Amino acid sequence: MGERSDRDLVRRARRGDRDAAAALFRRYWQSAWRVAFAVTGRRAVADDVAADAFERAFAALDRFDERRPFSPWLHRIVTNRALDLLRSERRLAASDPPEPVDLRPDHEYGDRSLLAAVAELSLERRIVVILRYGVGMTPQQIASTLDLPVGTVNSRLARSLEQLRSSFEVHDAKRD
Amino acid sequence: MPNEIDAQLARLFSELPEADAEVSDRALARTLDALPTPRPASRQPARTLAILCAAALVLLALAAGALAAAGALHVSFGASSQQQKTATTSQLSLPPGARGIAAVVDGRLWLTTNNGFRLQGLPVTAAALSPHALYVAAGIGHSLVAMAPNGRRAWSHPTAGAVTTIGWAPDGLRIAYVVADGSGFRLYVIEGNGRRDELIDRAVRPVQPSWRADSLAVAYVAAGGRPVVYDLGHRSRHVISFPSARDATRLAFAPSGGALAVSTQHGFLLTGAGARANGGTFAPSLVAGLGWLDGQIALAINPAYAGDQGPFIQLFRLDRGEATPMGQLIPPAAIKALDAYGGRLTVAVSDRSGIRVFASSPAATVKKAQLPQSPTVLQLAPPARVDSLAVR
Repeated sequence: MGERSDRDLVRRARRGDRDAAAALFRRYWQSAWRVAFAVTGRRAVADDVAADAFERAFAALDRFDERRPFSPWLHRIVTNRALDLLRSERRLAASDPPEPVDLRPDHEYGDRSLLAAVAELSLERRIVVILRYGVGMTPQQIASTLDLPVGTVNSRLARSLEQLRSSFEVHDAKRD
Repeated sequence: MPNEIDAQLARLFSELPEADAEVSDRALARTLDALPTPRPASRQPARTLAILCAAALVLLALAAGALAAAGALHVSFGASSQQQKTATTSQLSLPPGARGIAAVVDGRLWLTTNNGFRLQGLPVTAAALSPHALYVAAGIGHSLVAMAPNGRRAWSHPTAGAVTTIGWAPDGLRIAYVVADGSGFRLYVIEGNGRRDELIDRAVRPVQPSWRADSLAVAYVAAGGRPVVYDLGHRSRHVISFPSARDATRLAFAPSGGALAVSTQHGFLLTGAGARANGGTFAPSLVAGLGWLDGQIALAINPAYAGDQGPFIQLFRLDRGEATPMGQLIPPAAIKALDAYGGRLTVAVSDRSGIRVFASSPAATVKKAQLPQSPTVLQLAPPARVDSLAVR
């Protein structure tokens, strides 16, 4: 039997079908958690943000317009929760600085220097890069998720890549 | 080089760690616990039943009204009087391209959505549609009540007084509402499931709150008449303190970005997201509605003095942070309310015969033109007060 569509699962979950809700959860949990991790840079925070976002999203399933794709809606909630948290931390930063970003050694995941360069992007640019390369959204989907014009998304992506490329050139020059 | 960065980024994110199994299990349990519980009819809370009964009574009354109109039954409204008045009502129909419409006229809610949700004349103190018109939130007595199609899910939240105005966040997850507490008005934000009610400001004006497109900030009018943007992430307030921003009467965040249009007793201004505090002055006049029509601002104006120009809708284009006048649309009568949705305007107008609600197409390029009208979606007589109009 083929895999059920998001729409079908959402309909069933709305009627209280816990298996359908669990299937939706499993389909998107890890990608949503990675978004939360990539935005916040901390595992413990990503755990809270992603779990909280899923709880809110599924509690609000009645209000999800099932004619629209589920993934951008869910990722928007995750992104908003992460942004909420980071902005709250910025507000508190003067008196109570947040814990440092949890960057693990290179061999555990990916290229640490590139991750560090991504972490240095402004929040607005970082979100766009994460949704593009971490979730695989198209610029149109990102625009819909973040309520931005597509042109703004494309421009942020272009500037982010330019900034990352510059960071890399500096990094390579230092290594040489 | 860009392609190289592209590939490296894709690889980087694919190699990011995953959530621990234990964390995932806990999150799954929380998620499943949060699922809305379908409620069988016999378990509906008493308040929901009361609402449905009230709706049924209203429907019966309207059926009686229809019979009366057909001459089969005589119906009078209110106390008997010497002068017999003829009341005209039509069913509320959906404007072209809309998913739902809610109009509160003289304290009664008229609601129709494209999924079959219909209320006609339910007594409310305020009402607002959720995004995509899947829910309606209404003030009923001293409660904020959420209703969905077929009574599928409803909750009720007791309030300290009557709810005077309501605004849903664009993501549907929060509702801002104003409550009259006897001595003044308070602004609250509650989650869309009726939980986590939070007092935002103890002294506000009963102006409909407007949410920023990202749903992270809400604008309202403080008791002193200044617009305020409350950021829910920072829990901070930003007071719009331009001299022209005093005595704000309506607020409307742009459907994307962060520009905020504010109408005042003297005109209107535009602020936020690089927009400058400019706009225009329309004194002496009354602003009857404010909305965003794609990238344009639509301001409905009823001049106050006889001899002035008649009512009109002024369109502005947002051009490098400034509001540039585009043209005017002329409605057939005085404007009572206005809302914008999907590139169209919905307008309630009033003349001696009563209230009429219709939709229009935007005529963005005209300098001055009659407002193009769809067939009437609601007709009510005699003339009445239009408390709010919302189309999604």
